[in-house]
Order: sequence, then C-alpha cells, then structure tokens
Amino acid sequence: MSFQEDSIVALSTPPGRGGIGVIRVSGPASLSILRRMTTPELVDPEPNYLTLRDVVDPFSREALDHALVCYFKSPHSFTGEDVVEFHCHGSPVLLRRIIDSILRLDARLANPGEFSLRAVMNGRLQLSQAEAIRDLIDAQTDSAAQQATRQLAGEISHRLQPAKEQLLKIIVRLESSLEFVEDDLPKLERHEIERALESLRADFQSLASTFARGQLLRDGLTVALVGRPNAGKSSLFNRLLGHERAIVTPIPGTTRDTISEPIGLDGVPVTLVDTAGIRVTTEEIESIGVDRTRRVAADADLLIVVIDGSQRTNEEDEAVLEQAASKTHVIALNKSDLPAFSNELVHHRARTNGSPTPTVSVSAATEEGLSDLRAAILKPFVNGHRSNEGLLITNARHHDLLLRAMSSIASSEELIRNDASEEIVLIGLHNALRFVGELTGETTTEDMLGQIFSTFCIGK
Amino acid sequence: MIFDEVFDVIVIGAGHAGCEAASAAARLGANTALLTLNLDLIGQMSCNPAIGGIGKGHLVREIDALGGIMARVIDRTGIQFRLLNRSRGPAVQAPRAQADRTLYRVEMRRTLEATLNLSLRQGLVTDLLVVADRICGIELQDARRLGAKAVIVATGTFLNGKIHTGRQTYAGGRTGEPASTELPAALRRLGFPVGRLKTGTPPRIDGRTIEWDAFEPQPPDVRPVPFSFSTHEIEQEQLNCYLAYTNQELHEKIRANLHESPLYSGAIQGIGPRYCPSIEDKVVKFPEKTRHQLFVEPEGFNTNEVYLNGLSTSLPAQLQQEIVNLIPGMDEAQIIRPGYAIEYDFVDPRELSPFLETARVKGLFLAGQINGTTGYEEAACQGLIAGINAGLSAIGRPLFRVQREESYIGVLIDDLITQGVDEPYRMFTSRSEHRLALRHDNADERLEPKGRELGLVGDSEWERFNQRRDGLAKARELLSATKLRRTDPAYLDMAQLTGQDLGDSITLTQLALRPNVTREQIVELLPSSERAHLRPREVETALADYLYAGYLDSQNQASRRLRQHDALSIPETLSFKAVGSLSHEMIERLERMRPRSFGDARKIPGLTPAALSNLLVYLTAAQQAKTTTQSQ
Repeated sequence: MSFQEDSIVALSTPPGRGGIGVIRVSGPASLSILRRMTTPELVDPEPNYLTLRDVVDPFSREALDHALVCYFKSPHSFTGEDVVEFHCHGSPVLLRRIIDSILRLDARLANPGEFSLRAVMNGRLQLSQAEAIRDLIDAQTDSAAQQATRQLAGEISHRLQPAKEQLLKIIVRLESSLEFVEDDLPKLERHEIERALESLRADFQSLASTFARGQLLRDGLTVALVGRPNAGKSSLFNRLLGHERAIVTPIPGTTRDTISEPIGLDGVPVTLVDTAGIRVTTEEIESIGVDRTRRVAADADLLIVVIDGSQRTNEEDEAVLEQAASKTHVIALNKSDLPAFSNELVHHRARTNGSPTPTVSVSAATEEGLSDLRAAILKPFVNGHRSNEGLLITNARHHDLLLRAMSSIASSEELIRNDASEEIVLIGLHNALRFVGELTGETTTEDMLGQIFSTFCIGK
Repeated sequence: MIFDEVFDVIVIGAGHAGCEAASAAARLGANTALLTLNLDLIGQMSCNPAIGGIGKGHLVREIDALGGIMARVIDRTGIQFRLLNRSRGPAVQAPRAQADRTLYRVEMRRTLEATLNLSLRQGLVTDLLVVADRICGIELQDARRLGAKAVIVATGTFLNGKIHTGRQTYAGGRTGEPASTELPAALRRLGFPVGRLKTGTPPRIDGRTIEWDAFEPQPPDVRPVPFSFSTHEIEQEQLNCYLAYTNQELHEKIRANLHESPLYSGAIQGIGPRYCPSIEDKVVKFPEKTRHQLFVEPEGFNTNEVYLNGLSTSLPAQLQQEIVNLIPGMDEAQIIRPGYAIEYDFVDPRELSPFLETARVKGLFLAGQINGTTGYEEAACQGLIAGINAGLSAIGRPLFRVQREESYIGVLIDDLITQGVDEPYRMFTSRSEHRLALRHDNADERLEPKGRELGLVGDSEWERFNQRRDGLAKARELLSATKLRRTDPAYLDMAQLTGQDLGDSITLTQLALRPNVTREQIVELLPSSERAHLRPREVETALADYLYAGYLDSQNQASRRLRQHDALSIPETLSFKAVGSLSHEMIERLERMRPRSFGDARKIPGLTPAALSNLLVYLTAAQQAKTTTQSQ
C-alpha cells in the first residue's frame, strides 16, 4: 500500500446551498486536524462513529459550526488513508470558512479526482471503478460548463505573467551569481532584490485579496432581517429592496411568513429575507412563522438584528441578540428619526460582549443611515481595502496557490535580510515559481538558463 | 565471425569519457581494450586546460567517490587550484584547477598503463559489428576485427568533425587530427538519429610575446582543496593566472568583419553552447558591454604556450592575430595556434537507458560528447557509468545506475535520456532539485559505499572512507554536545561578534548558524583534548549538514508534490491508445517520446494536465491490478 505524505481537503458534497455540506480530509494529518478543529477536543475518536462537536477556528478557537464529525481509520476508509469528515450546515460561507481553517493546518486543497486517485493507489477502488473516475476527470476538464473556468484560468495566467517574469528575473540574477562566479557580472545588490520581492508579494496579495469578493460574486449572500415584532424589519426590507414588497402595519406580528427577494449590493447578489418577529406566542400561524424564522436565521450568511432604538431594549431584544451571537451579524438601530431614539444600551451591550458588534443607526422612514447599513452588510465578507483588480479570484485552489507563493517569497525576504547565502534564499523563490507555475504553466530549468544567457554575457 | 583479437569490452576513443570507461571496465575484471587514433594523445584536453568549477567540480568529486580516476590525475597535475564560491554556502562551493596540459596527458596514460586487464590499441574504427541487434565487435581501417561483448563509443568531436576558421573548412576531429567518417555512417545504418552540434576554441599565444604586467594576477588558493578524497595534499607547484580585457576598438574590428565569420555567414549549421559563446557572439549579442573579460592561462611548466580563455573564435587566422594585438598587453603577442569552431555529429541521447546502453543495439554504450554534452567532467562521469555497466554486463553482473536524488551524475543522465538536448549540455547546480543535499564535500558519503560494492574502491581508500565516517560521527557528536555558556570566557566575544543575544547557553551547532561565525572559531571552542583529533574537513562537513538541515524539507516541498508519482513506470509495450480518453494529439506526443515513467511523461512539452491525469489513473490502476493478481 502506498501512502501519500501530504493531506488533502475538499468539499465532497456539490457546491452551493444544500441541507448539509460534507468536508472530507484524507492523509496522515487527518486525525490531528480533527483534534484541532473540534471542541471539546476529540482526542481519541472511535472510528466510524458520528460524534456531535463544535467545529472551531483552530487558532482563535471561535466556534464556526455545530457539526457531526467522523473518523475513518486507515485502511478502512474511502481512500485507504486516515480520513475525517465534517458534516456541517450547508451554508457556502460557513463551509468555506471551515475549509480555510483546515488549509491553515497541515493540509492542502485536493485536485479534481484526487480522493479517488488515492483510493485506486491504495487498492480501495478497482480498475472498472477507476475508468468511471477517469470519465469524471474528463467531464470536469472538457464539459462546456468548465469553459468559463478555463477562460478565467487563462485570464489569471495572463494577469500573473508579468509577476512571474519578475520572479524569474530575480531568480536568474541570484542563480547566475552562484553559477558563474568567474564571469564579469554586475554586482548583486541585495536590498534591491529585497525591494523587488516585497513589491512582487504585494502584487500577489492584491490579486489574492479579491478572493473573498470573487467568491461572493459567484455564490452570493443570504441576509436575514431578524428582531422582535414591530422593530421595523419589513420597513427596512422594503427600503433595501427599493419598493414596497412586505406589508407594513403598526400591528406587531404582521409578518407571519418569511419573504425573500434578490437584491444587488455593490454588484454582489444578495438574497434578502424578511422574517416574522421572534416572540413567545400561542397563536398557531404566528408560531409556525417564528419557527421558520429560526431556520432561516440558522441558514443565513449574515443577520441584521433590527432593534427599535426609540424604545428601551427588552427581553425579546436580548433573546434575539443572544441567538444571533454565534453568527455573523450587524445591528440596525432603527427609527433614528424619532426624538426618543438613543443608542446607549446597545453600545453598552457591545462593550460588555467583548467583541464589538457593528452597529448602524438607521431610519426606515427617512432612509437616513441606509447606505451605512448596506456597507455594513458587505463589510465582513470583503477583507481590507478595495483593490483596483479587474480580475477576481473565485477558485479556492488558485487562492491557495497564491497564498503559498506569497509565504514562500516572504521567507526568502527574511533570509535576504539575514544575509543568508543565495542558494538558501533561492529555495523559497523556486518554490514560489512552482506554485505560480500551477497557475501560469511550469517554468523549466531550461527556460531559466535561457533567461540567464540572454541577460548576461556568460562564458569563461 | 573470425576476430584478430577478442576482448570483453572495447572502448572507442581515449578522451575523458573513454579513459574513465576503460579504467572502470578493466578494474571490474573485464578484459578491456582502449582504442585511440593516437596513443600519444590519451586524455588530451582539447579546449581549456582546466577541470572543475561550479557543478562540474561536483561531478569530479562524485567520479572520485565511485572509484573513477579523473580527480586523482588532476590532483597530481593541477597548477592552479581554487575553491570557487568560498563566500557562499558549502553546497555551491566547488573546486576548480588549471591543469598542466602535458602532465595531465602523461599522468593519465601512466594510470591506464598501470591498470590490470587493460590493453591500449591504436587504430581507426570503421564499423560496428552487430548480429541480431547485439554488438559483437568492431572493424578497423586496417581490416583487423576485434571481438567484444560490449562496446563503448566515446568519440568526442571526431564523428564527421568539420573545422571552420574563416571561410576555410576542412574535415578533422581536432585541429591537426583526422575526423571519423565511417563510424557515424555505421551508426546511421543502425538507425540511430544523429544531429549536429558545434563548439569552439580560442587562439593559443606565445607567452614570451605577452606583457604580463599589463594584467591583473589571479593567485591560486593558499591551501588548495583537492578533488580526490584520497589526496592528502596538493604537491604540484602552483602558478598565477591573469585577467585581461577586450576593448571597444577590438569589438569594432569584429563587427566590421562579421561576414568573415562562418557563424554569421551561415556556414555553421550546428548549435553551439550558449554559456560558452564565441567572441563574435559576445560582441553582437551584448553591444552595450564596453569590455569583455579574458583569462590568460599558462598551459604548463614545460611550455610557453598560453590559453586565451574567453576569446573563442572562428574568424580567419590573420584576423585573429590582428584582434589579439588589440588587447591591452598583447600588442606584440603572437598566435601559436589559431582558434577554430568545430561541428560534429551526436546521437539523440533519448536512445539510451539509464545505464547508457542503447535500446537499439544490446551491448552498445555511448558516452561523452556523442550524447550531446560538453565538458571534460560531463564526459568523464558518463564514461565511468558506461564503463561500469559494459564491464558488469560482460562479466554477467546486474547493471548499475545512480539516481537523480543522490548525485549530479544521476541528474545529468536523467536529463539526457528523458529530455534529449537542444544544445551542448553542461552541468549547473540549478539543474538539481536537491542542490542543498548534493555537496562536493559529501560526495563520498553519498556514493563511495556504492563504489566499494561495485569493486572500484580499493581497500586503502575504503579504510580512509571509514576513518572519515567515524571522524564525522565524532565531529557531529562533539559539535552538538558542546555548549557555550554565559559564564565561559569566550561568551562575550562571540555575542559581540554575532551582534545577537545567545541566551544562557548555546550549542556549537546552533552558534555556527549565527552571523559572522567562522569554522575556526567553532573549533577553538571545542574542548582542547578533543580538538587535536578532529580534522578541519570533517568539522566543515558536519557544520554544512547542520546549516542546511532546516532547509532540506522546504527545498523538497513544492517539487515533491509535483513529482510524487514520477517513479510509476510505463510498460514498453503500452499502446497509449489503450489509455483511452486521450486526444489524437496527446497520443501522438506520447508515442513519439515513449516515456518510460510517469515522471518522463510529465516533462513532455505540450501534454495537458487532463491527459496526464488520465495517464496517471490508468497507470496506477494497471499497477494495482497487477499486484492484486500476483498476491492471489
């Protein structure tokens, strides 16, 4: 049986919104990944048994999901290696965060068909089954649906070409100073190379940082308005929508069912959901609505907790905030146009809570603060500054490769600063070139030598 | 067939590949003949009188570790030793030496004549005798027939050699020596794909006509580092080389006369090495350079002849003389032998197995420039591997190969047989994915046990190897056990020297990684009782291991991922149509290149990732099916 040294991770259910999403990890690091991703830590799991655990961010220990996890001990697994599975809630945003967390541990994203390939190598799949996998690989590379992806891959390659050439230039500079020590080459300026590497890394960073936005553009967001009855959810819903879709009355509990409508926020497709107010009720229809609200809330990528800022917050508000706490949420403090409006209490709450919750004062009546609310919705999903990139990274593998290239370059910068010899500095740069090469096509040693001989006059 | 003489192994050509090949085959116990056109020119350095350099020096150390002879011969005949890249890490340092051209030749012949089972023969080979796709001997110009179980062709630039100076062209293997025209015809008849390459050489100058004071001297190392692990010390007297420069006037002269150069008139078809360009090429391709560096290298103790390294040219002889006189310090210099360019035949090395045997004719081996390489060191290491395998096959032992992961020799052979050549192939350290592990100073650790197992490493060398291995173990133990403590008298000095906080205590292996710390200082910190037993070379090697230990893994990280399936072999009988789902174009590419492993297939230009995935799944599944059947 042949085992791979590295561990791979991928979503093994179809992408998009489903009831559950299964994330599968295979390889020697599987068990340690399972341990670091669960709380209470699942130290010695019984193989083949599902266990309910909180799935957490391995570094911050922040809870990401409540999920069924399972460990399959080698060789009794799909691939024949140690495998763990996380059966999570099906939100694409959530699944992405969990996979991102696993990637920061000792795993990389699987290539298409790689789980099956490992299964074949370890004798867990027969030849006939392998034929089917091959067809699958074909389907993935040749189907019309992949055209768009391939086209995008071409654009990424085009976009990265100058950076790759710059990287190659730096490598050529360092390599030739090593290989042609007797030749009359220009002096190597280390700080210049360091600067060039910094700007190269910034360039990769710029492209990589489009990933979150790229994913958003592709998959979109589900945003639900929640809050106690009559806080003004439906009014805000209509304002965000731009037309009167939900029925608005002063009577608490008017909205009994969820309504969802697509809107565009800054180019991002958002499904906006208006929900029934959450309160304890004995009325049957309203209580069905409240149940439905809880389900929608659980499935949403972001919650807007609507609070009537003209009134003191009550237990119902507290209960809603409590429920929203485990999810990404923003607080919309509504009715800022009323004289009784105050944001004191919520601020107090945000402080006591440790992590400040983004809070926006808004008026559904005058639309004051509405653009702030729109911005606050997207903010958790778009990292840092807006870049000028025309191209967006939407593929997690591409993003992974860019990050790996960046970290390789960073390690070389560090070595240059510490005056390390060129052959050591070059390790990270060659690695970076290989990672970028997976996006742009491989650069062979011959290509590099060719570059040396066309740049410098070599020849003792 | 009736033969005049019968041997186990015949080596054609007594250059750097042929000498190693004959020596190795004979010492393995095969009755060996070394054939040459001129017995007085055994081990001749046709071009620059120097051995080693970055990458090349590594090869020579590996040859020595496997039991080859080049390193010992140059150690006895080198007249200027320099360890290159001293200021850089140990993995990219390598020895280089100027040779006394005549002494080298004499010493090589002496070495071969002292070898048991080895006969020297003079003659021109006109045919290869092949019966049922197996070699059985050779035919000479004088109609003699020699029989052999294995034949190694190591003919350098002699196959259809064509020499150019200016518009003059003539047949020749080197200047003043005849070319071989019958042998390449025989190779073509046998079906070998043959191409043309080109190389060149600079004019040689009469040293008495040079103003030596005009040049910057380049002194030898004070303590020369030998090539051979068995050489204790370099005893040969050492000389200076000198640096000279061209100037604009000289460049102008060349530009004005390019039409006289066969390189630019189109007379030369063969492809030359880009890293060893002619002065014509340098001037044309780098017009912004105001001067080019030249090396003025004495050819030896018993001659005034001087080699003008860097001025390779095929311009007419009279023009060469005018150009040389434009070099500051050479106003009166006289050319003894003009430079020239030479075109020659080579065989596509993809015809070869990793043992350097041809797939087409069993028992026929090729080594050196005939495989598209350039350089004495590149030739010698192929000669060694071909000689070992010709010898082994003749005496019925299993063949021997070295891996890419363990040696530059492995890199060279793997590159040749999987990728072929577009231009003369030279070794560079960047060709290896394992540069940090393949150091010149650990070639013995990597390869000498293999040389011993083959039978090429003698008892006294083996004892020396074991002593060094014990010494290394001792050095490693001492260096990692000895600590420098805050209370030690030397602590303050070392902290100041490194400019770093060294903590309460630090092991010497850790200290050695800090800035500005030299090996000598580390040795000083060892307990004085132990210091006397340690040799500097062993401390150096031990420290080099520690220096790179932390980087070896990241060096392999990305390439390992790329290469994880490379070892998967592709059956020779596999029809790529059977793989299925491959486009017509992909099948064609695969059939044309006939990769032997998945790793070979991965390097084929133009194969799509999807085609490679298909092939990979097919191969793993097929292998799986095979092992399942076997275990049933």
